[in-house]
Amino acid sequence: MSAALVPTNDAAKAPAALYVVFKVGDVDYALPASTVLQMESYTGATAVPGARPFVSGIIQLRGRVVPVVDLRVRFGLAATTPAADSRVVVVEHAGRAVALLADVAREVVRVTEDEARPPPRLVDDGGFVTAVIQRPDRTFLVLDLAKVIGEETLDV
Amino acid sequence: MNVDLQEFRGAFVAEAQEHLSGAQALLLAIEVAARAGRSAPRELRDLMRLLHTVKGLAAMVGVEPIVQLAHAMESTVRAAEQAGGVLEKAATDALVAGADAIAVRVRAVDGNRPPPAPPPDVLAALAGIEPPARVSRPELAIDPVLGAKLSASEKEQLRAGATGERRALRVDFAPSAERAASGITITSVRERIEKLGEIVKVVPINTPATAGTPGGLVFALLVLTTASVDELAEAAHVPPGTVTVFAEAPAAPPVPVREEELPEDSQAEDARTLRVDVRRVDDAIDLLGALVVTRSRLARAIERLERTGTDCRELRAVLTDNARQLRDLRAAILRVRMVPIASALDRLPFVVRGLRQATGKHVQLALDLGSAELDKTVGERLFPALVHLVRNAVDHGIETPAERVAAGKSPDGTIRITSSAFDRNVELRIADDGRGVDPASVAARAQAPMPTTDDELLELLCRAGLSTRAAIDTTSGRGMGMDIVRRTVERLGGELLLETAPGHGTTFVIRVPLTVAIVDAFTVLCRGEHFAVPVPVIEEIVELGRLVSPTHAGGPRLLARRGETVPVIDLGDALGLPPAAPAVQALLVRPARGEVIGYGVDRVLGQQEIVVRPLVDPLVASAAISGSTDLGDGRATVVLDLVGLAALAVERRRGRAA
Repeated sequence: MSAALVPTNDAAKAPAALYVVFKVGDVDYALPASTVLQMESYTGATAVPGARPFVSGIIQLRGRVVPVVDLRVRFGLAATTPAADSRVVVVEHAGRAVALLADVAREVVRVTEDEARPPPRLVDDGGFVTAVIQRPDRTFLVLDLAKVIGEETLDV
Repeated sequence: MNVDLQEFRGAFVAEAQEHLSGAQALLLAIEVAARAGRSAPRELRDLMRLLHTVKGLAAMVGVEPIVQLAHAMESTVRAAEQAGGVLEKAATDALVAGADAIAVRVRAVDGNRPPPAPPPDVLAALAGIEPPARVSRPELAIDPVLGAKLSASEKEQLRAGATGERRALRVDFAPSAERAASGITITSVRERIEKLGEIVKVVPINTPATAGTPGGLVFALLVLTTASVDELAEAAHVPPGTVTVFAEAPAAPPVPVREEELPEDSQAEDARTLRVDVRRVDDAIDLLGALVVTRSRLARAIERLERTGTDCRELRAVLTDNARQLRDLRAAILRVRMVPIASALDRLPFVVRGLRQATGKHVQLALDLGSAELDKTVGERLFPALVHLVRNAVDHGIETPAERVAAGKSPDGTIRITSSAFDRNVELRIADDGRGVDPASVAARAQAPMPTTDDELLELLCRAGLSTRAAIDTTSGRGMGMDIVRRTVERLGGELLLETAPGHGTTFVIRVPLTVAIVDAFTVLCRGEHFAVPVPVIEEIVELGRLVSPTHAGGPRLLARRGETVPVIDLGDALGLPPAAPAVQALLVRPARGEVIGYGVDRVLGQQEIVVRPLVDPLVASAAISGSTDLGDGRATVVLDLVGLAALAVERRRGRAA
């Protein structure tokens, strides 16, 4: 994973956190690095019968088996065809480990607390975006993990 | 006696006794087979392996009398195995006497007494066995059609049940309209035979329709009984010729001459422990699985009831309690399989001791394993990988005493194994204080760029066939490579990590789940996808040539089978896979209650043991899926629960009807 630390534009004193940035379609999405377990290249998943349409299947990562959510399908785009740039961002949420399939993922940015703002209401009607990070040259949409992977907890 | 022996006595005694009781059970099975005119090549091979292990263990602790006995026995067994798998009676007797003699010497070691020299008559008897002339393989007493329908434990039950006067018999009953008219049906026959003995299984067998078998069907009743052939034939209303004996105990085994028992000191501590066949625990887990399926059906029934406006709060509360109890029960059953990590690894000191002698290196093994426990199966699967890592450490990691002193280290190298358990996983660290792995030389040997991290270095070490030594040597040269070590760990659902520092040593870290489920499974191809299906739920695999097809209104195709009409659904359709050519083979499944269902597949590819990892994430969990496995290709393969799939289908149908 190559990490390009982008310096903050202002307010260097405000509390800051690292975010992992990845692209789905033309949009840059971000997740707090604290929720990300690992990033891996993606060569395809094993389909699981009966799974939701946005689940491309399961993959094994160092012996762990995790479901893969195809973010393109989740956001209403055509399904991902694995390519050299395809990455899975493995996140941990509520005791679950889930891989998010993105078109590209190779950036980590430092974000100060006051940079992340609530999204304008029209940005996203699926409720997947919990905050927007606005930079002079770029915009990152921060995902609501619970919404993206479902809020069910493990019943084990 | 060797001074070192003190240290390993407990481990040696436990290990040797376990192998000995295994050897005795095998001898018994071989004897029964020989009585029934069958050869027992597999048992002979297993016996040979056990004896070889006992010999190796005894050699490591320097108990020469046991080495001699085990060696003589191994030679006798090998000769019989090579001669076609039949052990003659004289040979069996000599082997039983040999096993007894070893047992006496193991007890002597246990009691810290010098083991007596091997009894000359036993050695002479073993040496005097002429390998039997190569015989043509006798007809199996259980014909293959029937044998294929019996589980290993049922066969074992038949074999083990035939002791003393009790024999295992097969009674063939062919139902017919005529017999049914006079009140003779399989049910009445079963009841009558149950009074005479224990029915192990009733197996329906297809057969060409003849005058004797007008229905094209015969029920083979497998019975353990002391009753005579005539009594059984009468009970089943069949001619005595249709009753066959396929296992019986030797009429009167001569009592082997035993040596005088040496006094014993310590057996009291075994009183609170129970040795149980792991298969019994597995059976309990299978039954628990059925209970879980029932619970989910109950939950759905309650949901439907709620939709009609019924107040189900009390039912809900019961259901919640039930879920908790199921979880507790599962945990309790799994605990039965847990053994202390320390006892799973108690043979390692032998390995190191042997390596010390073979290499002349000064190595200490320090075990700091705490009280954490591990599933017995996980421990057994992991052990060879640990042995490999320890051998590697001695061979490649630890330097010679001279090198160590020159490097400013103590002349004695140390291999330290520590364990810790956390969150359903156990972590084992195998650390040596040797020279470390040199990335440059590994890169050169693998003809790859220089690795920059320990992860990359491990990747190179795991390249198939790569050895860090140019020459094959006696200890590490053969056996598994690092790639197999890693695959062993990963197939258990774990991971292998490497930490190394040049000049300071190497640490391998193994993380594995505390417990795993291992089952026998068929691998099948369905619409281009691979799936695994546990063997126990499959009643039969059939070719779909004889299908009445197609049937009306797009319903399932129908298979005529022993007078029964079996619906056959393409597995691909049932799973909602994209349509393709119709299936050519079908797996017949009989749910706990209900009718047989066939699931059509493209091809059954094979059968193998798999480690099932539960698939619990709500994104992919389903009653039709029991988990995921790695068939050895490093990818996930879905393990189907066909009984669950059948239950789902029934519910959907009901849901539509409601």
